[in-house]
Amino acid sequence: MTGATIDHMISLTILIAALLVAMMTFNGLFASAVDYERNRQVANKAVDIMNTICLSPGSPIDWGETNETLLGFGLQDPEAGGYTLSPYSIMRLNTGNSSGGSQIVYYPHTGLYYNNVSANYGHGVLIPLGDCVNYTDAAELLGINGTYGFSIDIAPILEVSVSQVPVSPPQNHLILKVDVRGSGLPLSGATLNYNLFHVKKGVTYPLIATYSGVNQTDSSGSAVIEFDNVDESKDAYSFIVYVSIGGVTGNGYYTHNTLGDDNQLVIPFIQDYDQGTVIIAHSWDVQGAGSPPVPEIKYNATFFALTSDFQFQQIEIVNNTGHLIYGVGDPYFTTQLPVSEVGLLVISYKRDATRLGSVIMPWGIGTLGVSTSFDSGFGSSGYDFVATELRQVMIDGISYQVKVSTWSLSG
Amino acid sequence: MRTVEVLFVIVILLTAFLITTYFAVLPSPSQAFGTNLRELSQSTLETLDADGILSASVFEDPNDPAWTDLQKALSASLPPNMVYNLSIYDLTADSQGVVNYQLANSISDANFGADSDAASLMVTSPNVTFTQDPQKVGESTGQNITLYILNCSDANGWWITGYTGQTLAADVYSLLSPYFTTIVLVNSTSELGLLLSGTLLTTEVGESVENAVVVNTFGEAVPIPDDYCEDGLNETEGFDPAHDGGTYAKYFHTLGSLTRQYNWTWVSIVGYPFYYVTNTNNPHISSSQNSYGIYGMKDVRRAGSNAFLQGLDNQGYVYDENRIAFDIGVVQFTSEALDRCNYYGIYPAPYQTSSRALADDILDDYHLDPFASVFELKNSRIAAATFRHQDGSGALTAIGLTRIPDIRVTALALLMYYNPTVYKSEFGASGTSRLVTLQLGQQGGT
Repeated sequence: MTGATIDHMISLTILIAALLVAMMTFNGLFASAVDYERNRQVANKAVDIMNTICLSPGSPIDWGETNETLLGFGLQDPEAGGYTLSPYSIMRLNTGNSSGGSQIVYYPHTGLYYNNVSANYGHGVLIPLGDCVNYTDAAELLGINGTYGFSIDIAPILEVSVSQVPVSPPQNHLILKVDVRGSGLPLSGATLNYNLFHVKKGVTYPLIATYSGVNQTDSSGSAVIEFDNVDESKDAYSFIVYVSIGGVTGNGYYTHNTLGDDNQLVIPFIQDYDQGTVIIAHSWDVQGAGSPPVPEIKYNATFFALTSDFQFQQIEIVNNTGHLIYGVGDPYFTTQLPVSEVGLLVISYKRDATRLGSVIMPWGIGTLGVSTSFDSGFGSSGYDFVATELRQVMIDGISYQVKVSTWSLSG
Repeated sequence: MRTVEVLFVIVILLTAFLITTYFAVLPSPSQAFGTNLRELSQSTLETLDADGILSASVFEDPNDPAWTDLQKALSASLPPNMVYNLSIYDLTADSQGVVNYQLANSISDANFGADSDAASLMVTSPNVTFTQDPQKVGESTGQNITLYILNCSDANGWWITGYTGQTLAADVYSLLSPYFTTIVLVNSTSELGLLLSGTLLTTEVGESVENAVVVNTFGEAVPIPDDYCEDGLNETEGFDPAHDGGTYAKYFHTLGSLTRQYNWTWVSIVGYPFYYVTNTNNPHISSSQNSYGIYGMKDVRRAGSNAFLQGLDNQGYVYDENRIAFDIGVVQFTSEALDRCNYYGIYPAPYQTSSRALADDILDDYHLDPFASVFELKNSRIAAATFRHQDGSGALTAIGLTRIPDIRVTALALLMYYNPTVYKSEFGASGTSRLVTLQLGQQGGT
């Protein structure tokens, strides 16, 4: 009798232990499967979002070129199709709240806040915030508001940097060095199509003289370009270079002003996206008044349309010259761009005979190789699993990479 | 003893666990959650070919610097943890037309690990021009067939929600213009009156009223000229005061008779054919509405189709309200229609909803033969086909689908009926096309 009881106790103990071990083991197996399934849903959602963004123009299909209300979100260029994104739709993304996005700008004379899709040194696009699509609206239109978070990063594939090479006196001509890298490696043998916008002195409204040429990068991915007619320290200029090799394209730029500091004195704002109307404002009205004397600015605005072979074609625009005096007369002037042409608005200006500068506003983000990020501003930190998708796209003929990151908000 | 039994239970549990783990194998994380390599590969190929650089490069000699540039472009554009293999296949066709793929060249930067995926792109030589020349309708039989598209500005449409007759007329023109030598837009009901009287509407040499195709883009409504309306010059051919308090079923009988007389193919693009007449300027019709708020329209209802078919069959006019079109729900393309979609490059959805399919009783009642059925027969109803009279005089193409109309179905039905040949240059000819595949692999973890 005692033996049977002991047998019962031992067998029951072993059975319970075995069951516990089995339950823990199966639980671990099921937990992995559940995690896998949940993560796979997030990964699939990332693919869905990427497909919608890259392969659908949204609704209406030309929403990027108008002020119309967005009914369906997508960034594909409706005229080009395929993996080509609309440079205009991207300009209408509200990146003010995005992590890494530039701060929004307030302009008191219009009473509006402007989204700032900027490169550096003051070049960029300032669009009325009310005309932009914010993250929440985009998430709602994608059908994921409250269920998934996402971020979009659009950046050029090629990294093109331009620097000025110092020369020894008595030489004073301009030498620029262009470095091209792709995926972290120098890119040799790349063709460079470059343009130098030289701000001419000695005229009331400073004109732009354009110098263009073709060059090629050497084995270290660099090229040196010299301009005999430009004084490296006393002249103001902007330099744009387009790089291409084997179907991959990129661009870079460099600007030199003779104002004495890096602050631009002229700031262009987009007034009406539909009509292509641009406000040309005095920087003191935006950034606050500086130290007297008040700089009087005389500017000359020139629009260059970008052709398919990376050449610039000058297009006449209305009211291309103006005289901006802070606190006196008209606070700003307006001009109008041809909305159907991507290109660059180059505004050359002077404060006095020796202090000149130029500022560039891209019409279509690819023309200046501007990167952009679009997200909620909170990022994906704190979430266990983030799925990422990569695609190569073209914007304004420039090769870009789009990265979409997606995570589940339900934990 | 029970300890032994428990040991058996443990063995069973262990076996169950082993079997479960053996079959429940989850894919590796890189396969499940890694970047979608196929789409990345596809987008890379498409962007490299955006300006035709890829197409031009792959036709160069393997020693040409273009290949080096292509390799640099791939290395520069792909993330550093990606490896690639770009293979180019030459397409050659043997005498039987069988296409063979031969590896022409390949560039690669490393060996692949376990996980890789590929996409492909067919590229054509920039030195070759491909053409596609459609034969004109009637050309093979020596007939001069004019396409008349009703584009009347003084008419309203019904069952064409989202469109107007005029916008559909533009779509018909766009779709069918490559296949017809002469296309005439009938811009008003008075021009339609001229056409019905056999008068040419233009001075074009090729225009012919006989053997023409007449496309009614106004859906279930058909424009009616003033002359055929009440108090019009041809009132007796259009208006029947004896039935339904005065009906225009007589007009549709006249249309059927003229379709027979001129050997027309009358095309109804959607819905119940000949259900309303429309004329927004005629005083007897302009103030009428179709009970859905569309003015300039008077309903004839079921008697319209019967009257048309009586005219087409050379029968006398008898007012007949019997129903001949029925709701049969979802219908699917015939295999012939699917084949013709590929042939003509027109791709409507192969599954559509038919709420006005014609009963096959009409074939016997009016001596018709069905041709070029777009959809499979369902419940003895024909959703879309061309019904030609057995003595060869006149035909009706009826698309009995529900709204919103897909005008591509009409175009497909007509092309299936007339079957014009499309002369295409051979894409698979040796040396003109190459298949480019890009295989991508991800090195390291995800």
